[in-house]
Amino acid sequence: MNLPFGWLQFAQNRFKRQQKPPDGRRKTPFWSWVWFIGGTLYLALPLLATFSFSLQMKRDTISLQAYKSAFADPAFINSFLFSIGLATVTIIASIALIVPTAYWIRLRLPQARRTVEFITLLPFVIPAIILVFGLIRIYSQPLSIPFTSLSMGQSLTNSKYGTLILIVAGYMVLGLPYMYRSIDTGMRTVDVRTLTEAAQSLGANWYTIMTRVILPNLRTALLSGALLTFAIVVGEVVLASYLGVAAFGPYLFLLGQHRAFEPAALTFATFLLTWIAMGIIQLVTGGQGQTTGAH
Amino acid sequence: MAYLKISNVSKQFGENAVVQDFNLDVEKGEFVSFLGPSGCGKTTTLRMVAGFERPTEGQIIINDKEVTNVPPNQRKVGMVFQAYALFPNMTVNDNIGFGMKIARKPADEIKNRVEEMLKLINMEKYGTRYPYQLSGGQQQRVALARALALSPQVLLLDEPLSALDAKIRVSLRSEIRAIQQRLGITTVYVTHDQEEALSISDRIAVMYQGKIEQVGTPFEIYNFPQTAFVAKFVGTLNTISAEVVDVNNRILKIDGFQLETAENLDGRANGDKVTIAIRPERLNFIAQERKANVMDTRIENISFLGSVVRIQVSVGSNRFYMDTFNNPFLELPKIGSTDQMTCSREAVLVLKD
Repeated sequence: MNLPFGWLQFAQNRFKRQQKPPDGRRKTPFWSWVWFIGGTLYLALPLLATFSFSLQMKRDTISLQAYKSAFADPAFINSFLFSIGLATVTIIASIALIVPTAYWIRLRLPQARRTVEFITLLPFVIPAIILVFGLIRIYSQPLSIPFTSLSMGQSLTNSKYGTLILIVAGYMVLGLPYMYRSIDTGMRTVDVRTLTEAAQSLGANWYTIMTRVILPNLRTALLSGALLTFAIVVGEVVLASYLGVAAFGPYLFLLGQHRAFEPAALTFATFLLTWIAMGIIQLVTGGQGQTTGAH
Repeated sequence: MAYLKISNVSKQFGENAVVQDFNLDVEKGEFVSFLGPSGCGKTTTLRMVAGFERPTEGQIIINDKEVTNVPPNQRKVGMVFQAYALFPNMTVNDNIGFGMKIARKPADEIKNRVEEMLKLINMEKYGTRYPYQLSGGQQQRVALARALALSPQVLLLDEPLSALDAKIRVSLRSEIRAIQQRLGITTVYVTHDQEEALSISDRIAVMYQGKIEQVGTPFEIYNFPQTAFVAKFVGTLNTISAEVVDVNNRILKIDGFQLETAENLDGRANGDKVTIAIRPERLNFIAQERKANVMDTRIENISFLGSVVRIQVSVGSNRFYMDTFNNPFLELPKIGSTDQMTCSREAVLVLKD
């Protein structure tokens, strides 16, 4: 009779925890509020200060002049669109690489999961500056085939497309922890292994399973990973600066060296853009992802 | 030839032999259950029939065609999983019609078949719902309909009721059996629940440590277990060590009491040790004078199990369970009192070594 008794005790304890004190008021979790307010101020104040500062370009008046000025600069539009392009390519390449990898690990190589997870965490401990110097050192020479004297064409850093390939690869590395974890968690949530087998028993081949079963059920995970990768790419400075790519990050950095109000306006606009993207994700994915039954 | 033939199939994961020399013939339209504890290899065997695992040795034949190395998507085998495995992004209609869409069937045919399947599982009004809007039992019925929609050669069910609560389990298992009989589809069902296997199967293969212990009808498995494992695993059974006293007259001895068995003791010699088994419901207290199979007992404990009252008695150093139907007017013996217990000679089973 352990089970019902244990359940009863659990229910009683829960009830006790939920009970109000004898005077009828809930106890105020004082320290919780202190930490909450402190945390909110810590995060919100700099943002509010930046926003306030960005509105004061015209002396003694509140205006959106800094925003107008920043958005009017063709270098802003060019660098921003260029970064969006880079982010898009990075996201597509990351999905193309990580979805099959995570899928195969879940399906056939679960013993490799720890090793792969460790690799995906490396960008957290290896700074971007190390990554970019490593890329430059290796790819500033013509590509050679290891253990042979064969080499191919010119170095990647000496060509425009070669540099773009390098920077996208670098961004893929930087976004790896976020993208891999999002996708892996998504796959765990929908139990891809059983879904794959169910689809196979119904006659589906790998392409059909991927496109009609796995990817549609990873929509939330893919969007989350894509958003985080987008945020990283758009704000990234080190890789773009050292590889000499005219991206949005270095543009914002340089702007901050010479101007005061425009960088503040662009920083706030970037935050706003991120929030909008998060809101869109919430809207698009709302109500999805429930796999358990309604009892 | 059998419709589904599993011949000499073994499966090894590294050093671990999960299934060993598995042989079973399943006839067309038959409902066979693999019954056994966790890790006995029953699910692995089912997965080999489905094509998700490849046997290390042996062959699998379905409808006279060898499918041992045929990929799962070409086997024409329907599978129902423990975790339902409905596609969360698709409605009930889309889930059921998925296999037919893959097979590029015309839209009209798919629509009609989906409606037919929904009718079969009594869920005509649920076609536009998503899996998360259904209860566990409903999801599993949809999974069954999805597996049946393509009219598979063999239907495989991997513990389909394990995730459901007790009442739904009982009603759904009857529903599965009724549908199977109506369609006459060859079915292999995996379960660790003996009651489930006994109630719905034509035959049961009891498995232990990767091997088949016994194959038989539910009646045979329950009443005539051939090994100590089957005896212990299926139902409650008293298993006691006994000594052969008289091979010719089939007389055994436990703790000074002689028991007569109906079983043949060929191959045994007087003085041999054997394991005997007696079902609790085959034991009863003596109502009138008897000469054979009488044992002096002491009442140790009495448990009320609803429809049955289980009495634990000791015979010398051995303990027995005795079951009797609950009756509000039944006078139960007192704990600590003594009585005499008996059973028929047919109730004394001698298990294989």
